[in-house]
Amino acid sequence: MKNTETSSAPDALPRRRALGASLLLAVGLIASPLFSGEVLAAESAVSGKIPRLANGKPDFSGIWQTTSAADYDLEPHSNRRDAPPGPGIVEGNFIPYLPAALEQKKKNFANRETADPAAKGFALGVPRTVYYPEPFQIFQRKQDVTVVPQFGHAVRTIHTNGTKHPAGEAKEYWLGDSRGHWEGDTLVVDVTDFNDETWLDRAGNFHSEAFHVVERWKYLDPNTIEYKATLEDPKVYSKPWNISVILHRHREKNFQLIEDYRFTLDYDQYYPPKKP
Amino acid sequence: MKISVRRQNLRRVAVLVGALGLAAPLLAQAQQTRQAASPAAQAPAGGGQIGNEKSFPAIASGKWTGPRLADGQPDVQGHWSNTISNHSNFTDPNLGAPGDRRRGDLPPREQRAPSRVSDPADGQVPFQPWAAEKVKEFQQYFANPIKPEYIEPLARCAPGGVPKSFYWHGYEIRQYPGYVVLLFNSGTRIIHLDGKPHLPENIKLWNADSRGHWEGNTLVVDVTNNNGKALFGRTGEFSSENVHVTERYIFDNSNKRYNYVATFTDPTVYTRPFTVTIPAKRWTADDKPNGWHFETNLANHDGKEKILERDERICTENNGGFGNTAVTARK
Repeated sequence: MKNTETSSAPDALPRRRALGASLLLAVGLIASPLFSGEVLAAESAVSGKIPRLANGKPDFSGIWQTTSAADYDLEPHSNRRDAPPGPGIVEGNFIPYLPAALEQKKKNFANRETADPAAKGFALGVPRTVYYPEPFQIFQRKQDVTVVPQFGHAVRTIHTNGTKHPAGEAKEYWLGDSRGHWEGDTLVVDVTDFNDETWLDRAGNFHSEAFHVVERWKYLDPNTIEYKATLEDPKVYSKPWNISVILHRHREKNFQLIEDYRFTLDYDQYYPPKKP
Repeated sequence: MKISVRRQNLRRVAVLVGALGLAAPLLAQAQQTRQAASPAAQAPAGGGQIGNEKSFPAIASGKWTGPRLADGQPDVQGHWSNTISNHSNFTDPNLGAPGDRRRGDLPPREQRAPSRVSDPADGQVPFQPWAAEKVKEFQQYFANPIKPEYIEPLARCAPGGVPKSFYWHGYEIRQYPGYVVLLFNSGTRIIHLDGKPHLPENIKLWNADSRGHWEGNTLVVDVTNNNGKALFGRTGEFSSENVHVTERYIFDNSNKRYNYVATFTDPTVYTRPFTVTIPAKRWTADDKPNGWHFETNLANHDGKEKILERDERICTENNGGFGNTAVTARK
């Protein structure tokens, strides 16, 4: 079990945005609805500078979503009844499955309508939450990045406080255990301690509990994140492989997440009691 | 070899959840006995070890003299919980769930913790007659739920909703410019402080839609778009999807306690508005996790500081009911 090296990149000096924020505070505008992440992000877009936390690190706060068809199938695919066509997001196009794993993938694909954990409303896991076709919101503090998906209920915390993966024996989390560090303006996240329950997409691409993901989150501009990940799993793949998607900031007026607890739909009808 | 809770749980029950006729008896078992799986979870029925205050201090709204975040919000981040029992009984928290056999051992009503209904004075929800009948019916069949609607939704891993999330397990508050985020054992609430309008009213949510602002030491939150499905506890009190809640989270300047004081208005179900009061206390790294109100791990790092971490919460995936956390360390 690997532990992440947590590099301590030298803290950048607080930028002008932080100074601007203090000025706002000073003139007593703290309660104003104008003082919000979105407005600051929009200001940054105008100036072309990415939003930053007070400590100078990039601030990914906001609501994000990919426009890619990655969740239908990570690999290149033609259209089919349950999916639009897509060029895939795998570097080199195809996932380097071991022979037995490829057979399992084919079974998953055949049974995807019911076997896909997302079809049951289950936690999407990592990295699927990032490119699932519903928005997710990032809340960021110095010590952590919180990822709240619209779909499902599973909130992910990426620790950015220099802490390491849990000591001792491995755990089995649906979302894995995420430890991040900064390499310049790129957030690098090492994710381990997975279970084998989540899928990577609705085409049945999968992993075992030996799964290990290294993510790289980087601003291309103030409203666009480039997300890259290296996925390795010696029980399932013959070598590590890479994916890459672009995430766009939701900038629609008053846009917000609308909870999507899909797993409650079977029993929604029984509550609350109705007036006779 | 890794061991996870998932594998120890009654996964096969999940298969039946879709077929509700069959699932009801199994879920009934979950309502009654699933908690026996963990020693810490045995306490809740009557209050017992999970917090049993007979009374609690009033906290006045007023100035905040405690720490603040850079954006000016009072800094109330961290781990919190209710201090009196759990969701087993809404108006008589120490009494336990309908049919709880330990009821006979309890002191008389006036020596038990107060009702969570602080107004009206009788501590009862002012239900319209038809709604009172529905609650009575739910309680009658709670231990023998012959219909799907007698299953407490948490036993199906539904979100705890408003207000039940505040007296179930402990929870974490995280704050950001423009937001207060509540991470519950089942469900998440994002309280928007930025003044944007509520969602269109036909959108109904388990955790409702929240707009808040700070008044000194008090977070005032307007709560709409509630689907009314979560119920208030194992005693079956409820609102409809027309309920409007005004919440006041009144923080003590010690930053160690707050009181949740919420007014529920719903002309579909109640004869008048009523007030719910739930005391809460803070848990810190100096406290020992207790498997119910305070469920955290200490981070693995080279320094000496105790850093609290919260596990992911998984429920429907495990079919464990009652908010099992995801994992146990493998042996």
